[in-house]
Amino acid sequence: MPTRAWTWISETKPVNTLTVTNPTDSDLVAAAREGSHAAFDAIVERHRRHVYQLCYRFVGNHEDASDLTQDVFIRAYRALRSFKGDAALSTWLYRIAVNVSLNKVGAKTPRPEPLDALLRANDGRIASADESASDAVLREERAARVRAAIARLPKKQRATLILRVYHELPHEQIAGILGSSVGAVKANFFHALNNLRKLLA
Amino acid sequence: MNHLTPSEIIDLVEGTLDVSRAAHADRCGRCREAAADVRLMLEITAPQADPGENDVPEPSPLFWDQLSARVRSAVSQEPAPPREWMMWRPAFAAVAGVLVLVTAVGTLMLRGAADRPGVPPTPASAVAVNATIEARSDVTLDTNPEVWEVLTAAAADLELDAARDAGMSVQPAAIDGAVHRLNTDELNELGRLLQSEMKRAGN
Repeated sequence: MPTRAWTWISETKPVNTLTVTNPTDSDLVAAAREGSHAAFDAIVERHRRHVYQLCYRFVGNHEDASDLTQDVFIRAYRALRSFKGDAALSTWLYRIAVNVSLNKVGAKTPRPEPLDALLRANDGRIASADESASDAVLREERAARVRAAIARLPKKQRATLILRVYHELPHEQIAGILGSSVGAVKANFFHALNNLRKLLA
Repeated sequence: MNHLTPSEIIDLVEGTLDVSRAAHADRCGRCREAAADVRLMLEITAPQADPGENDVPEPSPLFWDQLSARVRSAVSQEPAPPREWMMWRPAFAAVAGVLVLVTAVGTLMLRGAADRPGVPPTPASAVAVNATIEARSDVTLDTNPEVWEVLTAAAADLELDAARDAGMSVQPAAIDGAVHRLNTDELNELGRLLQSEMKRAGN
């Protein structure tokens, strides 16, 4: 059996002296398991943005999202051996991110503005490039209130809504992340939207 | 007809609901209203309503490299992920323990058989084992007949040559090693454990 060198070329800088281009996630995981820190670096580089964005959507601020993202990857490194490859690496990382984020966040949020005001604002929405500064401020305030309302949802509903609406993941992948059935994910999504409507009313 | 379930309403809104079930929504005001509420909330929560808008502010370009550096630093202080074979160490230890036990009991059985009158000749593979035991002047099992009896009884069904025929590898050198590693106290303790187990099994 030929020996395979675990080398690749990073998008931003050469890593080691290897020449395997475009390694798959499975390649990187296998190399990291063999002790290659460079391979784990590449995993971090590849997935850090999505993990950060997911964490941010749970905690709503950069500092906590940054700390949580670091925590996610450290936990992933420790648990690398338990990753069997049955699911995509991104699904596994999302699962860790959801767990650490839900452990971090609390349920205390400001009361959002009434739904009527949100709807009126939505109807009058204009393109970002053309909107006035005051419109932009109002839009950001509305977005903040929606985020605050999302933060008051039960944990699983919150995770389902974030993964579906903001990360646009298919129900099947969300089911894999949350350890639920696809039917349960859809039902959770429905209830999340319904509860959100009540919170914003 | 039954109203749409929450899961089916999501399918309806996303256009993946079975046609026959979707037809129900055309006739049912309650299900239509539920679907309309879902569409409305999706519109409100959708982050892509404005091109270029992102609900997560983009961090400084330096942030990503700093994040990677922090992770790298933390990971470098972690022990390396355990290798595959290391995860089996407990199982290897258990198997090794059982092998030593079986080997020791089998060896003692052969010695006992050789010492008793009217016993068939010892298989050739046991000759070296017996020689090893004979060389163990410190083994004084004869002073404890009860232990000897227990060990012999436990090994009554053990046949090393048959085991070898069945594909199990029992090397004389391994037996020698096992015998040499067991001192008198250990042999007596082994007998005591076996006796205890046999009593428990008999309850």
